[in-house]
Formats: sequence, structure tokens, C-alpha cells
Amino acid sequence: MSAMDFEYAIKKDIRNNPIVREVDEARQQQLWRSAGIGLFLVVVLLFSAWQHFELLRHGYQIERMQQERAAEEEVNRHLRLEIETLRAPKRIEKIAIEQLHLVPPARGQAIVIERVTPAAPAEKSVVASR
Amino acid sequence: MEWLRGMRTAPSRRQPVPDWRGTVRSRLLVCAAVVASWTAVIEARLVYLQVVDHGELLARADRQQLRTVVAPAKRGEIFDRKGRVLAYSVDADTIAAVPNDIDDPEEVAARVCKVLDGCNTERRLAIARSLGRRTPFAYVARQVTPEEARRVRALELQGITLLKESRRYYPNSELGAHVLGYVGLDNVGLGGIESAYDSSIRGKDGKVLIQTDNKRRAVFSRVEKPATAGAGLELTIDEYLQYVAERELRAGVEANHAVGGSALIMDPHTGEILALANWPTFNPNAFGRADDDARRNRAIQTLYEPGSTFKIVTASAALERKVITPETMVETSPGFITFPGRKPIYDTHQYGLISFTDVIVKSSNVGAIKVGLKLGPDVLTDYVSKFGFGQTLAPDFKGETAGIVWSADRLDASALASVAMGYQVGVTPLQMATAVSSIANGGHLLQPRVIRAVIKDGRRVEVPHKEMRRTIEPETAATLTEIMEQVVERGTARAAQIEGYTIAGKTGTAAKLVNGHYQKSDYNASFVGFIPSRKPALTILVVIDSPHGNGYTGGAVSAPVFKRIAEAALTYLGIGPNLNAPPPVLVTRHDPLQEPAPAAQPARAASMLAATLEPARNGLMPDLRGLSGREALRLLSQIGMSARLSGDGFVVDQMPTPGSSLVRGDACTLTLQRRAPPAATGGRP
Repeated sequence: MSAMDFEYAIKKDIRNNPIVREVDEARQQQLWRSAGIGLFLVVVLLFSAWQHFELLRHGYQIERMQQERAAEEEVNRHLRLEIETLRAPKRIEKIAIEQLHLVPPARGQAIVIERVTPAAPAEKSVVASR
Repeated sequence: MEWLRGMRTAPSRRQPVPDWRGTVRSRLLVCAAVVASWTAVIEARLVYLQVVDHGELLARADRQQLRTVVAPAKRGEIFDRKGRVLAYSVDADTIAAVPNDIDDPEEVAARVCKVLDGCNTERRLAIARSLGRRTPFAYVARQVTPEEARRVRALELQGITLLKESRRYYPNSELGAHVLGYVGLDNVGLGGIESAYDSSIRGKDGKVLIQTDNKRRAVFSRVEKPATAGAGLELTIDEYLQYVAERELRAGVEANHAVGGSALIMDPHTGEILALANWPTFNPNAFGRADDDARRNRAIQTLYEPGSTFKIVTASAALERKVITPETMVETSPGFITFPGRKPIYDTHQYGLISFTDVIVKSSNVGAIKVGLKLGPDVLTDYVSKFGFGQTLAPDFKGETAGIVWSADRLDASALASVAMGYQVGVTPLQMATAVSSIANGGHLLQPRVIRAVIKDGRRVEVPHKEMRRTIEPETAATLTEIMEQVVERGTARAAQIEGYTIAGKTGTAAKLVNGHYQKSDYNASFVGFIPSRKPALTILVVIDSPHGNGYTGGAVSAPVFKRIAEAALTYLGIGPNLNAPPPVLVTRHDPLQEPAPAAQPARAASMLAATLEPARNGLMPDLRGLSGREALRLLSQIGMSARLSGDGFVVDQMPTPGSSLVRGDACTLTLQRRAPPAATGGRP
């Protein structure tokens, strides 16, 4: 038996269990920082996009509301015109005479209790908008 | 993988490891170079676009994304003196077209015409012609009704669109049409106040910048230049008085089968025109359908020979210059007067020797001519001018006629005679009303005006009254008032009498001059007066053109119209009778909680008033002298008596006298005067 017959090898038992991969704190921090910065940029981007779209949405909303307001104001003006038309003296007198069968007061039927002369407005005064 | 396998073999059998880092580096460099080149190209292009083409691209973007829209200014509103709306603007739909987008103009015109009110064949053909012109824009129908707009919108026709335009509306239709005027389709005033104050009422258009998206929808808008709203105008016109004047004038014109007429109500103390009515009139909402005669403001644009109403001027001059007194006797026999080269001038009756007062009361032409001749041309023309004839008076009206008067050097005896009785002069109703107002207010010629205040940016600025000159002294005015009162009491204007009121007035009947000849069947019948004459509140003028009914004189035709207008106006304004005025009706307040606190009693201490009532507890008439009219009325109502008042101000006399026996339910006559008697007289402070 030669030495060659014996397949003998001493297997060196290298116990590397206690060897742990050392964490590179600096790189870890750099990684987290990079991730954080990336995330921040993404958030900023998303926030910016959100802002942009909100701005657009509100722009549309404001325009729509302004149009609605203008339309309502116009309706208001039409209604006021209708009121003024309805209270025209000619129309009221016609209704009073023809439908309600009223007659103008005869002399003596209209008695002046007290003549109320409204105070003249100031030469310059502020007028409430209608 | 070769190099991986090499790593597992024994060191002795290792192959030479290729330099993979170098390979990667070189490949990365290539990639980086490609990316850099690409980036460089992109950057270069961006620089080119953003720097070199910046201006052009910005302009193109603006064209695509921005729209400048005109923000139309709202036309200012017109109110009456009590804030009631007389003219108002609202948006109306206008039907417009893009003819380039319309394939079949005939078909589109037919469909549009079908839904428009009053669209006839002629109009349909006009629309078709307009649509067939292949232009980028054309109006189809402007300022249509909301109902018409709704029907057109429902058609959903390609190339037909609806626009908003401001349209002027007059809610009372014909009311005050000649004062207000009217506005054209392009929002420009074309008549009356709308035209005279167009620049103030119209305002100034603004600009709004609108950012649009790819669908041309508005995303943002910014006001580049705000629209300036037009100023509002507050008129001196009173809506109700205007209505009354128009109603009664129309009734007068129709009852007398007249051609037309004018009625004017004026405040003699301010020159404010409270009502200005003309007949025929028109609806300013549809002014295009009215003829020129209806649109003419007769009160300021039509000249007429005033006839006998002008004798007021002759009388004013004569009294002021003391050429005559009311009692001076004037010989009017034989009832006519002749001048060389003209027909005799007649009186309607032969009056004989009458006082100057009666010359006016009976409207004697001969008497007035004789007085006029005494005055002479210089004096008479001076007073004609002083009273405002021959000149425009009202700045608020465009197109006012100055009138026709004579210069003194051209006034011969015949012409002087004519002028003295109101012929051969041309005046407007406004001038006549202004002249008579100056007599009513004691001799001040006030500028007639129709604008009371201007309302701009929420601020109301009143237009001040303007006195042009003094015409006559107050004493002359008072004398003339007495004479004019008699015209109504026993003269030619008895039809103007109103029970309880003193009225001063003068009638006028003048033959119309047509083609140089005075007509025998056409007259201008007028009446002008003020009421109550002793404390004038209103000057009213009525002119009826060519009456052909029951009469043709001012007394028969115009005086009744004056009376009806005055009656309604007095009731409306709450002006009580000044002759035998009934006691005011006092309403006792029963709610003790609503009783005004003693501190609120003005002027006089409550204890003093209570002391006045002391005698009443013993059945004796209290002493009311020295109290104000209102205090006296209040005390009388407490003791169960009614009151009859004479004058105004403070009580200077009473009947029953103080201390006499008190009869509850009887009327106590109080004489009031403006100046309070001294304390000793009434025994009070």
C-alpha cells in the first residue's frame, strides 16, 4: 500500500462561524441617506404634481363658479327687471280698475293726515348697491 | 464563466484573469458618451427653443392658451326721484353665425326663421343672404327674447351660436319716454337723457385674460383692466306724477280730437321737472317702430305761439316798471285795435273800460296791446329775455330749441302789439313753465333740470340748483299772483278750479301759423298755473295742439286737463287744501308701551303742556296761544276737540277764546303764524 493508496487528506477544519460580515456603517448611512433623499425627491415631485393638478382642478372650479355667479347675477337682474315691470303704475291701475273694480278716491275720501316730507338726502352720500 | 471556474481551482492551476473592470469601464464610457451626446443635443435644442425662439414660442403659446375677453361695462341705471327704476340693462342673447361653417345657408335660415318671432319671408331671405356670404362672422338676430334664444339653442345648428349682449330695458314702457330717450343695439344712447349723458352712463369696458386648456376651456382668468360701471342717474321725475301727466294728457288729447300735446309739472322752488309728458309718445323698448313725430320731445323741441299766456310777461314788465297798477283802468273799446297794413286785432267780447286786472282776467287782447305799447319795445324785449325766452335753458336735454323772439330795434308797433298778446314769438312749453315758475317763487328764474343726482361708484352727488337771474321783484310777483288767481276764480280758467285750493294761472289760445297764414280751425290751447297759489308746490303747464272737440280755447281744453293732473298730484303729494282747510285727522295711539318717552317730546317740557290743560279739567277752554300747531292739535285731541287751522307755524289766536266754556266735540279755530309770538302774549316761553 503505497501512500497513494490511501487517499488521506487532512481536511483542515476552518471554522468561520464566528466570522461575521462587518456592516459598513458609513455606507449604510450613505445608503439610507440616498434612499431618504430619493424618497424626499419623489415626495416633492408627487407633491408638486398634486399641487399642479389641484391648481388646475381649482382653476376649473373657480371658473365654473364665476360663471355660475355671473349667471345668477344676471338672473337677479332679470328678476329685478320683472319686478319693476310688474309694478308699473299703468299695469297696477289697470288691474285695480278692471279686475278689482276699484275707483279713484273722490274728493274728501282722501284725507291728508299729515304731510310727510322726507328729509332731503345729503348732497353727497353713499348709496347701497342694488 | 471561465473566470469563475478559475476561482474554484487550485491556485497552481489558475488561468490569467481578464480585466473585467476595464471592459465595464470602457462600455460605461461609451454609454456615457452616447448619453452625454444625446443630452447635449437635447440641451442644445432646449437652449435654442428657450433662448433663440423664446419670443416667438411665447407668443404662440399665448395665442393658444390665453384669450383676452372684453368685460363689457354695465350701462348705469336711471331712477326716478324716489329710486324707482326707469331704465335698466340686462344681458340678452344675440344669434350669431360663422357662415364658413354652414353648408346650406337656405336651410339654416329657414330653420332659424321658423323659431324667431315675426320672421317673415323678407327677413328669412336676408338671413340666408347673410349666411351665404362665407364670412367668418355674421349677426342673425340681435338681442332676441329668452324664449327665442332657447328655441334656437334647441336646434343645435352647426355654425349658429348665441352671444350675450347688454340690452337696455324700460320697465314702464312709454312712461317718460321723451325724457329717458333710448339706446341703440350697440349700447349707445340715441335720444333724451340716454344720449345727453351717454358718456357718463355707458362706463368703460374692461379686459379679462383667460388661460385655456387644449379644449379651450377656461382654467384661470385674471382681470387685466376692470370694467368701469356707468354712472347711475337719479332724475327729478316722479314716476307716479309722470304717469298721471301722461294719462291725463292723452285723455285730453283724445277727448278733444287733437293732434298732440305736452304737459309739464315743475317744482317752482327748485326748477326740478317732476313730469314731462308728450303725446303722441313711443315705447323706447321698440323705438324703431315709432315715427319721428312720436319720438319728438314736443316740450323742448316744438315751438308754439303762446297766445294769452304770454300776457303774463307783458303784465310782469308793466307792473315791475310801474307803468300800470292792477287798478288802472284800460279802455278796450271798441273791442278791436288796428295797425297799418294788417287786419284788426279783436277781443272775443267788447269789454269797454276795464281795470288792468280784468285785462288779464278776461284776456283782453286790446288791453294787453295798449299796455305793451306803453311799455315800448325795449322794455318788453328786455323782460322777454329776462324770463328766459329766446334761449336754451336746460342743459340736460339735447336738441332744445331756443325759440324765436324779436330784437328791440326790429319791433315796430304792430309787432310789439303781437308780442304783447303772445303772437309772433315762438316759445317751448319748457320755457313757458320756467317763466311762470319764476313768478310762483317770487321772481327767481331757476334753471329747469331733470338730473337730480349722479350716482358713481356708490356715491350720490347731488346736482345743485342754479338760479339764472331775478326776473321781477317779490312784490310784483305777489301782485301778479293775485291777478292770476282771479283768472281762475272768475276769468277764462274757471274749469281749472279745485275746491279748497287757490290756483293762479293763465289760459292761452293761439291760432296756428301754417305756411305764413294763421289757421281758422287749428289752435294751440294752453293753460299754465301754479298751485296752491299762496304757497306754490307745483307749476303745471298743459298745451294741446289743434283741438277739434268741444272747444278750442285754453280754458275749455287745457284747463280741465290741468285740473285733473293737479288733483291727482296734490293727493299724491299730501298737500292739503289752503282754503277752509278741514282739521287734520289725528289718530290716537293706544298702546302705552309705544308712547314716546317724555324726553322725546321736542321743544316744550311735558309739564308745561300739562299745565296748559289744567283749565280743561274745570270745563274751560285752555290757552293754546304760543304753542306750535302740532302741539295745539295734540292737546285739542286730548280734550276731545277737533281743530280748524288757518296758516302755519305757531298759534297766535284761537276761537273759542281761552277761559270760555269748553264744549267737547266742537271745532276750535286756530290762527297760525310763522313767527312765534313773544312769551308775554301767550303767557308761555
